[in-house]
Amino acid sequence: MRLAAAAVALAMAVTACAPSTTPRAADGKVTLSVWGWGPEANFDKMFAAYEKLHPGVDVDARSFTTATEYDTILSTGLAGDNGPDLAWLRAGANLQPLVEAGRLLPLDTKDVPGLAGFDHAILRAAKGDKDGKVYGVPFAVQTLQVIYNKKIFAANGITPPKTYDEMIASAGKLKAKGIIPFAFGGKDDWMLPIVASIFGTAHWGGDDFIAAVKAKQKKFADPRFVEGIDQLNKLKPYFPENAAGVSYTDAQILFSSGKAAMFPGGLWELNFFTENAKDVELGVFTPPVPEGQGLMPGFTDGSYGINVKTRHKAEALKFAAWLASQDYGRLYTDTQRTFSAVPGVTPKDPLLGEVATTFEQHGATYFMNEFAYGNPSSAAVFSKALQEMLLGRITAEKAAEQLDKSVSTWL
Amino acid sequence: MALGLRRGQGRNGSSYLFLIPALLLYSAFVVYPLFTGLTYSFFSWKGTLRDGFAGLDNYAGLLSGAFRDQLLPALGHNALLFAGTMLVQNTLGLAFALALSRVRRGKRALQTMFALPYLVNPLVIGYLWTLLLSPAFGPVNALLKPLGLAMPWLGDPDTALPTVIVITTWQWVGFPMLLFSAALGGIPQEYAEAARTDGAGSWQVLWRVTLPLLKPAMATVTILSFIGSMGTFALVYALGGSNGAPAGATDVLGLLFYRTAFASGDVNALGTSSALAVFMFTLIFGSTLLLERVLRRKA
Repeated sequence: MRLAAAAVALAMAVTACAPSTTPRAADGKVTLSVWGWGPEANFDKMFAAYEKLHPGVDVDARSFTTATEYDTILSTGLAGDNGPDLAWLRAGANLQPLVEAGRLLPLDTKDVPGLAGFDHAILRAAKGDKDGKVYGVPFAVQTLQVIYNKKIFAANGITPPKTYDEMIASAGKLKAKGIIPFAFGGKDDWMLPIVASIFGTAHWGGDDFIAAVKAKQKKFADPRFVEGIDQLNKLKPYFPENAAGVSYTDAQILFSSGKAAMFPGGLWELNFFTENAKDVELGVFTPPVPEGQGLMPGFTDGSYGINVKTRHKAEALKFAAWLASQDYGRLYTDTQRTFSAVPGVTPKDPLLGEVATTFEQHGATYFMNEFAYGNPSSAAVFSKALQEMLLGRITAEKAAEQLDKSVSTWL
Repeated sequence: MALGLRRGQGRNGSSYLFLIPALLLYSAFVVYPLFTGLTYSFFSWKGTLRDGFAGLDNYAGLLSGAFRDQLLPALGHNALLFAGTMLVQNTLGLAFALALSRVRRGKRALQTMFALPYLVNPLVIGYLWTLLLSPAFGPVNALLKPLGLAMPWLGDPDTALPTVIVITTWQWVGFPMLLFSAALGGIPQEYAEAARTDGAGSWQVLWRVTLPLLKPAMATVTILSFIGSMGTFALVYALGGSNGAPAGATDVLGLLFYRTAFASGDVNALGTSSALAVFMFTLIFGSTLLLERVLRRKA
């Protein structure tokens, strides 16, 4: 059904010759169509609240696969006359093709007052790089951390480590008992910069270092950054054997089956493990560094943008204003079990609440999304370099140099 | 052939009318998209919005530093896949066909069994093999472990591409086998008998009589293998993801195109990927014509 809808939407968008029909229901209601990804039921649940508040508006959500098809469907949809009124947009680099093509309506605080309260770093992921205008209302923030199995920790007398040495000692203890300490697979290379940032961000000094690189005052070949990514080499004994050949799903299974005690990964894994490993009791921690407290990297996951061709501009803007409100933020957090990007929203879930506190105190920007530009993108180049590093084919210095070389093509 | 056509034309020119429906479909679904792709490659793009005329800039981009560093290894891997396919898959296919030509009972059943995997979608095959070869849970390594031969087959850059070749062979070996079987069936028994009467051994019959007569079939298999190897996508995608993991060891042109067109986030992705598509088409089409020439002349 969903597939058929996607196919029809795509076909109509491609031919772009179908006469435009105003989707206005018989009872005079305005229908706002919204495209996104993820479970459709979540959208329906969240938007029902808005429909209750605004009886004249019917919000019609359509969900597509998260994979790259969404980008293609959306860009063709927005190019034609039958695109959605609002849509989920990717963050940062992947948003730029739509911005540059002029497909999106720039938003300001006059129409969407809630935007004023958003964290600067979060909002930046919804901005056009060239014009600096805001093109979307961010909906989610993802954080990166270590998820651990509470039962395995308790059975081995281990608590979330407070110091780096304690973390290494605990990992050694688990390994001696035949438990894989960290379920990490490096075969799917997008996981590599994520795990490197979980263990390394505090080594290179988080946002200050990234700002210095952007200002061309520092290079990634800086010893502090090299030391940070070298953590992958240092922790290699505590990863599954041949970690570079272990896939992401294998790593997930290692953790959910209880063969591994910890899983370094994104906040979205909580949802996955809660669904697929019901008997595993989950905890989270941010790995400490030799200097002390570690940093928790995070990034904006996406935002709601408005189609510049929408036939219901006023209604769409009003809806966007609601999407930037705390009401929606709370609804989002509780429905999707991840962080809302709306400021001041505290999640009901205790585990999420714990992550929120850590992120507030020791949060940092996930470095890779800031450097996802270029063709091939620096993120792709560096992911591959990290994979080669994990395979022992190049050193951490060399991997950092490859990132510098790639970044220099566009920065 | 030419004569026949001319005569047909004279007798009934309206027979061309019957070609029109097919020609229309062919133009709409083959010629037009190809031509559009070609024109796209000469423009710079802002997302799906056509920007200015770019001349050959997109093509120059393909050969510039960072992109070239992906293009050349990918092309090399396609070439290695072709070589591997020829050496392993087609040699085995020929061997199976020769062996089956002596089988009297159950020939059909065996042919079907050998050919069965190529009825399955390569994505499914790839997925199955990643499960079989998984270093964490896979049965293949579990069996090999006691022998000390357990390896991260798809996780080590040295073994990844050979593993892909073996899996490709596993899937496609039935195809050259069927072609060779058909060709073998077309060789009259008398030739071999005559050779034997003249005192030739079975090896001599194979080398001097059977194989030379299989040359046309070999040419066909070679050309089809070449096109298959150059255009491969689904299997490598399922085995190593869109980046050709590990460390780009299984990256091929198809994956590079996919990444550039759909996953790069580059504003000019449409221009670069169209140029890459034209490059791939020209390369495959040109090489195929060349191969065809050389092989047919020999055959």
